[in-house]
Amino acid sequence: MPLDLPVAARTLPNGLRVVVSEDHAVPSVSMSLWVDVGSRHEQAGRTGLAHLFEHLMFQGSELVAEGEHMASLMAHGGRANATTSFDRTAYVQSVPRNCLDLALWLEADRQGHLLPALTQENLDNQRDVVVEEKRQRYDTVPYGTALLLLGELLFPAGHPYAHPTIGSMADLAAAGLEDAHAFYRAHYGPRTSILTLVGDLTADEGFGLAERYFGHLEDATTARPPTTAALPPLQTPARTVVTDEGVPSERIYLAARLPAVTDEEFLACALALDALATLSISRVHESLVRGSEVASGASATALGLRDGTSIGLIVVDVTEGTDPAEVEQQLAELLRDFAVTGPREVELEASRADSERSWLEALAGYDERAELLSRAALLFGDAGQVNDHLDRVLAVTGDQVRGAAGRYLVPEAMATLVYRWEEG
Amino acid sequence: MSGRRVRRRPEVGPPLPWEFPEASTRTLPNGLRLLLVDLPGQHVLSLRLALAAPPSQEERGTEGSTLMMARCLDEGTASRDATELAELVERHGIALGAGAGERGIHLGVEVTGRHLSPALDLLLECLTEPAFPEREVARLVRHRLTDITHELADPTGLAQHEFRQAYFDPDGRSHLPLGGVAATVRELTPDVLRARHASLSPQDGVLVLAGDLSGVVDPEGLLVRTLGSWRPRSSPTAQEPSPSRRAPDAARLVVVPRPGAEQTELLLGRPGPDRRTPHGWGTYQALAMLFGGAPHARLDRVLREERGYTYGMRLGFRPRRRGGQCMVGGAVRADATLPALQETLRILAVPGEDLTAREVREAADFVAMTAPGRYLTADTVADELVSLLDDGLQPSVVTRTLQELRGLTVEQAAGAWDEVRDGPGWTVVVVGDPEATRGVAASDLGPVESVEGAGPARQP
Repeated sequence: MPLDLPVAARTLPNGLRVVVSEDHAVPSVSMSLWVDVGSRHEQAGRTGLAHLFEHLMFQGSELVAEGEHMASLMAHGGRANATTSFDRTAYVQSVPRNCLDLALWLEADRQGHLLPALTQENLDNQRDVVVEEKRQRYDTVPYGTALLLLGELLFPAGHPYAHPTIGSMADLAAAGLEDAHAFYRAHYGPRTSILTLVGDLTADEGFGLAERYFGHLEDATTARPPTTAALPPLQTPARTVVTDEGVPSERIYLAARLPAVTDEEFLACALALDALATLSISRVHESLVRGSEVASGASATALGLRDGTSIGLIVVDVTEGTDPAEVEQQLAELLRDFAVTGPREVELEASRADSERSWLEALAGYDERAELLSRAALLFGDAGQVNDHLDRVLAVTGDQVRGAAGRYLVPEAMATLVYRWEEG
Repeated sequence: MSGRRVRRRPEVGPPLPWEFPEASTRTLPNGLRLLLVDLPGQHVLSLRLALAAPPSQEERGTEGSTLMMARCLDEGTASRDATELAELVERHGIALGAGAGERGIHLGVEVTGRHLSPALDLLLECLTEPAFPEREVARLVRHRLTDITHELADPTGLAQHEFRQAYFDPDGRSHLPLGGVAATVRELTPDVLRARHASLSPQDGVLVLAGDLSGVVDPEGLLVRTLGSWRPRSSPTAQEPSPSRRAPDAARLVVVPRPGAEQTELLLGRPGPDRRTPHGWGTYQALAMLFGGAPHARLDRVLREERGYTYGMRLGFRPRRRGGQCMVGGAVRADATLPALQETLRILAVPGEDLTAREVREAADFVAMTAPGRYLTADTVADELVSLLDDGLQPSVVTRTLQELRGLTVEQAAGAWDEVRDGPGWTVVVVGDPEATRGVAASDLGPVESVEGAGPARQP
């Protein structure tokens, strides 16, 4: 089913890529600014800086006082937020249409003129906040170490995806004001950025506003790093066992290296993971959750990444009283079997229907639509990808899914992380 | 290089006109109140169904049966087993959700327009002929027991649990979670769920369908022919939830050990308003924003931005059918537990007269002016309508609340806050490493109760 969201794109003379999608359903506009800097761009010994900047960008800029960015937008019914991942840092603002000029002006000031306001005091305070964020999200919750451990299992030391986005607190503590200034100069500029506007405006209005507020920015960023070569699937199974009597269930993570998100085979892998463990009728749910009941829950994710290699993940909670080793064995059999037989027609049909609904849901609101357009422009070099995505999903055949599973999702190619109550 | 830098801050013009989407409303012959909202461009339709079945009417010892009954509706019917139902749901890309609240159960469906008809047939089948198969019920009971251990292993979940224990009267249903506790969940059998299901009726239920209806032929007829045809076997009785009662000794500090925790979880609550409050529900939404809705709100301005104690401290109001709670919560640095709690209590002790006109205006404008963006998608519109109607209110409440917010004065906000502040005191739950919470236990902040260490919260 072809989508026909209006998508207009243009690159300003200073290199800023601008995407506009017109929609007059409500008088508001969501604006997403993606910067091509994530944890994969960080240097050894200076991890966590990309994410720290997500915080520092709310602490004022040359013409904007500390905290004023958020406060003045919110006073006019606007909202602002930001997220950081391996590949990018994303700033999103949603504002009533009458407040759009202000939002663009505020955004341009911090994207181009942050350093006069980036002081030691701000740096110290936001570092403290990040330490608390890490404690809250990673250190005090069950399985909070999983992401870190899986990164180490899947990627060789020094690989851009080997360390988590939150970074090392020791690195952050060691980072000085000059490091922070250098990081900003190297990574924040019009050539590394994509500005997407979605909502109550025309494409020409959007381009005109982008030019008005961002046109003067000069670029001083360094060249983006060359693409890292795709890693082949793991040749020997990697494994870590964590003994922790505090976790509520014993749990198995199976992680795989997948092709880059732009690779044709990535979607086939995503559909394979659906049929293996996401859907209610998937193999793992049918055999292990509803069938033998050795698992109390299961899920799967295909985390699409840009730099050569993506991540595939299957997570299974072990039913109390069952030996995790036994569940691992049954999982391995399911994976082997799937790699030979491929998906049943009903699994494919369900996966396609689920993809369709969830993609349309994601595009339903302006915020997420703006995010997906920025993502399409950065990862695929074409914002129009949001309109073709479903066609690509529907075009994946059962044979392709089987082939991808055989290459990437066999037990021998997967890293295993197990949380156990006692040493087993 | 093109263009000159705009140094002058742009002016913000007046808000553009906008109205909450109009719903067409009618009551079906079986008593279901139907609301249809056409939202062009919203290709995923959101269906919501709320039915009266207050958990306060659950039989003693079977607490959690209402939620479990709702969750088991699609685990087998007279015509299909669990796997066949799952296949049907997923082949049509239907996302089906089931939950329970103070007043009863709510079912939610997200589905594209072309799959609406099979989704409605399915929902009707689940409502009218659920089988509650022994095997599937036993499995979901086990899953629920696992969920409970997961909830208690999470510091926020544990704090919520201890709050409920301390705040609500031990004889009332609210003392236990909606989903029950391990001891009551274990008692849930197919027969218990069947009995619970027998009390369901379309009478006074609320059915909302929101989304782009242009591609659906006669959506109203479709709903009338499906859910409108549901006639329960037994005649319904009036089902109002019993009001939740606060424990007489609720105003105290509860210290819960979580050895080794790097952060301490703080959770505070005291009586708050319901949506019918004479101060206006919007006033409290603005107060939530003013105290705990942003980094520059009163709590985070100090606790996060000045002191770096926390990643964020939130304040919100939880409305019930009658009355509600004002809730404050967040995780703080372990070694700053006592000063963070003292600072929190100090900020919350501010009298209404100290609120400034500017912060009240900005908070009110935020709530009012974010409305167009907030109510863009089908799911948000459907959620708002079903929760209002289920609470006995009308759709016009949304627009009236927004109008009231535009006129909100600092005096009104002060009066609303003072009513909370002058009411019964805080129940404070502190979950953290005993070393970190020792100062709280020894402080003069109020009577302190120390909860025994629970250890790994596994099923015996």
